Amino acid sequence: MTNTGMFFRMLFSAVFRRRSRAVMAVVASLVGAATLFCLAMICIAVPQQMNEEMRAYGANLIVTPTEAGADGKAGIDKAMVEHTTEMVAAKGSEKHAAYRYENVRVNAAPYVMAGIDVSEVRNLNHHWVVDGAWPSEGKVLIGRDVADAMGLQVGSGITIGYRASDNTSSSTSSAGSSDASASGSTAGASGSDSASSSDDAADSADSSHSSHSSDSADGTTQSQTPSDQPTQDGRVSSDIMDTSGTEFRVAGIVDTGGSEDSIIYATNADVDKLTGTSRGVDVIEYSAGAEDLNALVQSINDMTSMHVKAQQVTKITSSDTRIITMLQTLFWIVSLVVLVLTLVGVGTTISSIVSQRRNEIGLRKALGASSAAIGTEFYVESAMYGLIGGLLGTAIGYGLAQWLCVAVFERSIGFNWWLGAASVVLAALVAVIASIPPVHRATRIDPAVVLREE
Amino acid sequence: MDMLLELDHISKIYGDLHAVDDLSLTVPQGEWLAIVGSSGSGKTTLMNMIGCMDTPSKGSVKLEGRKLEDLNAGQLADVRKNLIGLVFQKFYLVPHLTAVENVMVAQYYHSVVDEKQALEALEKVGLKDRAHHLPGQLSGGEQQRVCVARALINEPKLILADEPTGNLDEKNEKIVLDLFRQLHEQGTTIIVVTHDALVASCAEREIMLNHGVLVGEKWNDEKAREAYEAAGGKPASTGAQVEGAQTGETAIGFADPTKAAKTGGEE
Repeated sequence: MTNTGMFFRMLFSAVFRRRSRAVMAVVASLVGAATLFCLAMICIAVPQQMNEEMRAYGANLIVTPTEAGADGKAGIDKAMVEHTTEMVAAKGSEKHAAYRYENVRVNAAPYVMAGIDVSEVRNLNHHWVVDGAWPSEGKVLIGRDVADAMGLQVGSGITIGYRASDNTSSSTSSAGSSDASASGSTAGASGSDSASSSDDAADSADSSHSSHSSDSADGTTQSQTPSDQPTQDGRVSSDIMDTSGTEFRVAGIVDTGGSEDSIIYATNADVDKLTGTSRGVDVIEYSAGAEDLNALVQSINDMTSMHVKAQQVTKITSSDTRIITMLQTLFWIVSLVVLVLTLVGVGTTISSIVSQRRNEIGLRKALGASSAAIGTEFYVESAMYGLIGGLLGTAIGYGLAQWLCVAVFERSIGFNWWLGAASVVLAALVAVIASIPPVHRATRIDPAVVLREE
Repeated sequence: MDMLLELDHISKIYGDLHAVDDLSLTVPQGEWLAIVGSSGSGKTTLMNMIGCMDTPSKGSVKLEGRKLEDLNAGQLADVRKNLIGLVFQKFYLVPHLTAVENVMVAQYYHSVVDEKQALEALEKVGLKDRAHHLPGQLSGGEQQRVCVARALINEPKLILADEPTGNLDEKNEKIVLDLFRQLHEQGTTIIVVTHDALVASCAEREIMLNHGVLVGEKWNDEKAREAYEAAGGKPASTGAQVEGAQTGETAIGFADPTKAAKTGGEE
């Protein structure tokens, strides 16, 4: 047997043949490791959970086109929607919904109609309260204000007329400057469609869909309709009393308390059919899970060839960040306190173990052991207690964290292997650090004092 | 004759108490010396100073010609592990190591661990069959024999034994003394601190301490005495001016102590 073999033989003997004392040290490490790992897991899980909760309240990132096509309403084509979505998805999880806005007439009064992919919008806006059903072929979802103004109910019929003249750039040219300012106030949707594509519909719709972004990056107040057109009940006044159009049925009524309540939602196919044209979308709303949303916005805006502009919905992101930061700070403070308590607990236990072995230390010194050799034996032994305690504690801590997350957030959390390894290493390190003072004292023991029997 | 140990007017003083008072003593290589005296006479203090576990307040200790007061803690530890084998009254075996592992611990700190050699040492003390038992599973006599095996495993020049038979019955006492006798015959220097008249009488030479002062010296082996004196060896002496102290160059004889001395009975 080599001396290294003997070293480990002594080590294992000290740990496994003195089980009761070893158990004390392991339990001390275990409690610390379990508490710390549980807290750390929650520290990580809570922001994720909070993020998801906050993102259920709508988009935190809005992408709009920067320039219009020849007809003034090019929008963002399908390929670009996919490309932008890929960029967002590359930085984290994402949910998105795209909107195509058109000015329509109902009973001669102008309204904004949005063409949507129902599943996308539904998935993004969990906070929408829909009475009835979501839009489907031949059926629309109308805002609460629209329903109230026209006395519509679920199942009612509604005739929607589309006039190309309402949606051309000339129709809004007089409102160009005000459009720009209005749109600029929204989360970029209309901010980008300054001239041709920033028609009334886009303005109104953008402001409504981005109602939570009213205090967005530039912080200005949005206007829901062009300022040069008098409004009443959310409708642009018009003297053109043309009530012709396509018959739709009201599938449901949406009530958000925001400007979505004054919009009519239909499927993209129905809008295409109504307008007789198929084009790109005016706004893509993202609920992005990217850690650094600013960087994501910057990276999209830097790609000028994409002809889109991204903006954060600061109301969502800043409140999200603030709450998460507060929670994380709280958890880290608690973790620090637990770490100190663990250090004290493990230190006391190791100190007790070392003092129980004073005679043995004295004997080893009498046999010619150096202080360094004795110190090494005890430090490695402490590390072993920490390692065993850390392994068990991490497993128990994960169990606790899992139970807490299921009980509080109703979701399970996956095991973080890096954090697990860090927890085990930290437990071993804490055990070694805690054993430094008692072992240092012990290695200074005078063997004559310990072995003196007179 | 080479002197393995030379004590030159050494004293150990705690406040007003002189645990060992101005003692001079030379011990040649291969001698078996017994230090006797009642409890508190300074025997163990003297043994600790000889065993590099304590330093004298005054005077000088030379082991193999090296002055111990010139050595630092690490060098003293080296002297302990290379020159000295320790046998304690209370055995001091590591409780969570088996008999053979306890012997191997001494090898571990000395040089290289050799389990076969450790088993041979246990065989020498008649404990090969008990080699893998923990100290708690061994009798007092067996534990002391493990302690002896541990002391002799590194073939030290000097065995220091503090009351080696103090916790043993007669049978085990005899076994241990036989082991010492074998070691002595092999040329190992043995210094035994004891109350026991039988143990003391086994030594070639005895010195007696009383309250730290040398009060007597006698030889149990005339041939050894003659060889010692022929080599220039002098009787132990003390500079302490106390009644009954052995201050000159003439040894003062004394009667062997008995175990009754432990309990304060008459010698």
